[in-house]
Order: sequence, then structure tokens, then C-alpha cells
Amino acid sequence: MKNNIAITVTGLTKKFSYSVKNPHSGWIKNLFAPGTKEIVAVNNISFSVKHGERIAFIGPNGAGKSTTIKMLTGILFPTSGTVSILGFDPTKDRKKLAYQIGTVFGQRSQLLPNLPLTDSLEFFGVMYDMSKQDINDRIAELVRVFELDPFLLQPVRKLSLGQRMRAEVAASLIHRPKIILLDEPTIGLDVVAKKSLRDLLLKINKEENTTIFLTSHDVGDIETLCDRTIVINHGTLIKDLPTENLAKTFVFEKYIDLIAEVRFTGFPELPLGIRYTHQDENKITVVVDINKINVQESLRKLLDLFHVEDIDVYNADLETVIRHIYERDTTGN
Amino acid sequence: MKELYFAYYAVKKNIQSSAELRTSFLMNVIGMAVNNTAFIILWTFFVKSVGTIGGWTVADIIGLQGFTALSYGIVFSVAGGIRKIADSVASGAFDRFMLSPKNLLLRIAMSSFGVSALGDIVFGIICLTFYAILLHVTIYQIVIIILLVALSSVVFFSAITIIYATSFFFTDASTVTGGFFELFFTPALFHGGAFQGGMRFVFTFIIPSLLVGSIPVEIVRNMSLDKLLLIAILSVLWFTLSIFVFNRAVRRYESSNFMTFGS
Repeated sequence: MKNNIAITVTGLTKKFSYSVKNPHSGWIKNLFAPGTKEIVAVNNISFSVKHGERIAFIGPNGAGKSTTIKMLTGILFPTSGTVSILGFDPTKDRKKLAYQIGTVFGQRSQLLPNLPLTDSLEFFGVMYDMSKQDINDRIAELVRVFELDPFLLQPVRKLSLGQRMRAEVAASLIHRPKIILLDEPTIGLDVVAKKSLRDLLLKINKEENTTIFLTSHDVGDIETLCDRTIVINHGTLIKDLPTENLAKTFVFEKYIDLIAEVRFTGFPELPLGIRYTHQDENKITVVVDINKINVQESLRKLLDLFHVEDIDVYNADLETVIRHIYERDTTGN
Repeated sequence: MKELYFAYYAVKKNIQSSAELRTSFLMNVIGMAVNNTAFIILWTFFVKSVGTIGGWTVADIIGLQGFTALSYGIVFSVAGGIRKIADSVASGAFDRFMLSPKNLLLRIAMSSFGVSALGDIVFGIICLTFYAILLHVTIYQIVIIILLVALSSVVFFSAITIIYATSFFFTDASTVTGGFFELFFTPALFHGGAFQGGMRFVFTFIIPSLLVGSIPVEIVRNMSLDKLLLIAILSVLWFTLSIFVFNRAVRRYESSNFMTFGS
């Protein structure tokens, strides 16, 4: 049976060291022999990704997401551990691997700023040793799929951010990569541009079975695009689960909105297992830990305390769940 | 072969890209040619007033300026990306070269076209043409001059590759690499008579400044095939060393996350 694994990461660790001033030493000693401090950006993480999977690799700022992507693509050398992408070791087979993967960095353009977009696409085609005919056919295909026609002849520096990101993704797909790695591709985009980009990535995944591995702070990217989510914090992998199960991570917490019949005049102490998350004279939101008190009992006690016009019971949204995961990991709860 | 075709294609695109900004393009080329012409006029008047300096005539000075300007111009126009290594490393823009399926040194070297260096090429060609006329050179000497331009360009490329590869060892290395470059290039602009004994040894074998201009002029003047062989061997050695140093240095690349634009 053909190996279905696209990416295997085992015990991956990356440490950076930097100079620090010793406050007890003079400036001359600090100039010639400063102390060094080491930070562990990525700490012994392991995971694998199947062909065609759509992975969200998420975590708060400084969690180690970009460092991991840079090790996967061969930009950075790991301190320890191994990476295998499509059977290649990025530290040894950087050039061979580059033919098989596409990369998009939201904060970093790869296009030629002064020339029309079509030149950038052709440039990438030549870089990947494609024939002229193949380049032309692929550009035509990408122009159609990504709807690049209206700005194809415009210099890249004059594109809007949304247009540029579509162009960046299109350029990264010119050589039909088996995997595309995206580092915050929707950063700074408006809601329309975000949706458009997500739709395009889904289309490429479905039509060409391209594996998608993306980092993002945008819950919409995770929810609509990714079938699996890996959470990293402080360089350590803390969750790896189907995205649909991510929302159920805090299923033991129910949120209840209470809308005031007239207005709330006081906010009394709540029973054990219930706590306020929002309180004003028109609306109260509480969170119920159903391990301590069930929903029915909670509602009964809340209705004893407040006169309400309407009630809404719901699970935490994905953004809240992710925030909880980050916070709990930070506080160690 | 594919690497070379891509290098050629990248240079072509870089020229197109630079030419898109027409005013800046022309100002750069003309400005640099005028700047260099002023420099050689100064030298010519100086040498004419004192006769010869350390055995170097006006023709030799013109030849020296021709060789240095041409090697500088060829390398910094075609391989202008080398000069941007320090900034690319500091900003993290070097990432995109690491993601390329091409030879890393070739990819970054050909990532930018130094427009102002075109002015140096024009100036270098004019100087060497004058030099050839003043020396009444033979066809044989013309072949030697062309060969020496190629060899001095290889030495120049190798030297700046090593200089700018130090960017991987320092944080924000622009100033440091700038200093190293001055240390290499300033002696290359002075006539060979200024360097004798230990200094000549240092600026030939430790820092290859004299290989760029002075020694080529001495080779043409004396038709010294021994020195021609020496410069050929040294250029191969410097080239090999530069690739080794660059490849070792790249392993220290730590990337960063500043916002950058591509090329």
C-alpha cells in the first residue's frame, strides 16, 4: 500500500541563544564577554500529516508556529529531532523538497514588486524548471481559478492586500506542489478577501489533493478550512485533534445568557459551579460547569435569582475555546 | 544548465524590473559614470604633474581604474543581490531564497540588479579602451586584458561573497560588512607602487585587493605569464573558498519576522 503520510515530525526541538548584559559586570566586560541566554522556541514536538489533510497549526504569539514551519521548509536547522516531508529531510534535501512544496508567508511577499503579476508567475515557473507551454497553461488555469484577470497586468506593488495574497497563493501553486504551507495567510485581509482565499484553498485541496498546513490567529480560517487542529504553546504541542472536536473540548462548560425583564438591579453571589462572564443592567452571561451543577438545576437557581424576559443556552464558540486552551496552558490549570 | 538558464532569466527580469523605474534607472547609470570620470580626471592631473608614481604612469592608472571599475560593475550589476545579504538576513527576507529550488548563492546573487553599477561598466570599458590605445596593444594583449577582466571579476565576486557572508555571524551586520568591503576595495583603487614588501603580500594573498586591478595592469605592462598563472590559480582558490564559507555561514541563519517585499 502506498505510504499516505506527507509529513512526519519526531522530537523536533529548536533552541535560540542570544547575548545578555550582566548587570554586575562593567560595560567593557559586557562588550567583549557578554552572557548568553537560551530560549527553547520549539520543544520536542511530534506529529504526522496525511496527504490531502488540511491542518491548522495554531498557538498564541511566540508559541513556536513560524519556527516550526521554517524547520519544515528547510529555512531553519533543528537543534534536535527529525522532519520528513514527502520522504525528504529539509536539512539535507532543501532543493529537492522545494520542488514539491509551496509556501506563503502572509507578512512576506515573494512576488516581483515592480513588474506585472504575470511576470512573477512566469518567474516562478522558470524557477521550477517548467516548460514554456506548461507555464502558460498553468498560469491560465490559476488566473481562472483565482480570478486574477482584472489585475494580471498590474505591477505587484499597486495591488491591494487581498489581491496580493491571492496572487501569492497562486504563485506558490504554479508548480503543482503536493503540500502548501501558509504562515498567517489571511493577516490584514477584510472579511470578503478572507472568504475568497479560504474558498480557493479548499478548491485546490479538493481538486488537486494538495495538503494544506497553515498557521493562523483567525478562527474563521480554522473553522472553515481545516479538518484537524494542532495547538502549540511555549513550543510544546498541547492538542492535536479533529477541528470539530476542538469545539467540544470545553463541552462541560455551558454559557447562559439572561435578558432582563426590565433591568437587573443587583448581581448576587451565584451557586457553586456558576460564574459571571458578563454583567450589565440589560444582560447577564454566566458560565456553568456541568461537572458541578447540571443545566436544569442551574436554570432553576438562576430564575430564582433574576427576573428574565429571555434565556439562551449555548456552548462556547471556537474562539473562546481556543482562548481557554491558551490560558489554561499558561496558568497550568 | 538549468541553474544557469534561471540565473540568466533572473538577471533579465531584474533589468526589466529596474528599467520600469526609468528616471531612477537613468540617473543611477549616468550619475555613476560622471562620478567615476571625475575621479580619473583627478588622478590624471595628479600623475601628469608628478610624472610617475612608484613607476606607475597615467596609462597604468587608467588601466587600473578600468579593471577595478569593470570587475566592480560586472559583479554588482549582475550579482547585485550579494550586496543585500546583510539586510536580507537581518530582516528575514533571506527566507525566500532558502525556499527556492536553486543554488542558494546563485539565487541570492541574481536576485537584484545593481543599476548604478552599469555606470561602472560603461566607465570601465572606456578606461580600458583608452588604456589599450595608449599602450598600442596587440591582439594578443587584448585577449589577455579580456581574460584578466574575467579573472578579476571572479576574485571580486569571491571576496564580496566572503565579506557579505559574515552577515550570518552578526546581528544587523550592514556596518560591519561595509567596513570589510572598504578594507578590501580601497586598496584595489590605489596603484601597485603604493604596496611593497609585507603590505603587498597581505593585499595579494590575505586580502585579494591587488588581484582586482594592480596585478592585472602589471601583467599587461610586462606580459608576465607567471603572474597570469598566479592570478588564475588564486581566483580559483578564492572562488572555492567563497562557496565553502557561504555554505557554512548559511547554516547559522536564524530568520526573523520583519515584513519584506520580494524579488
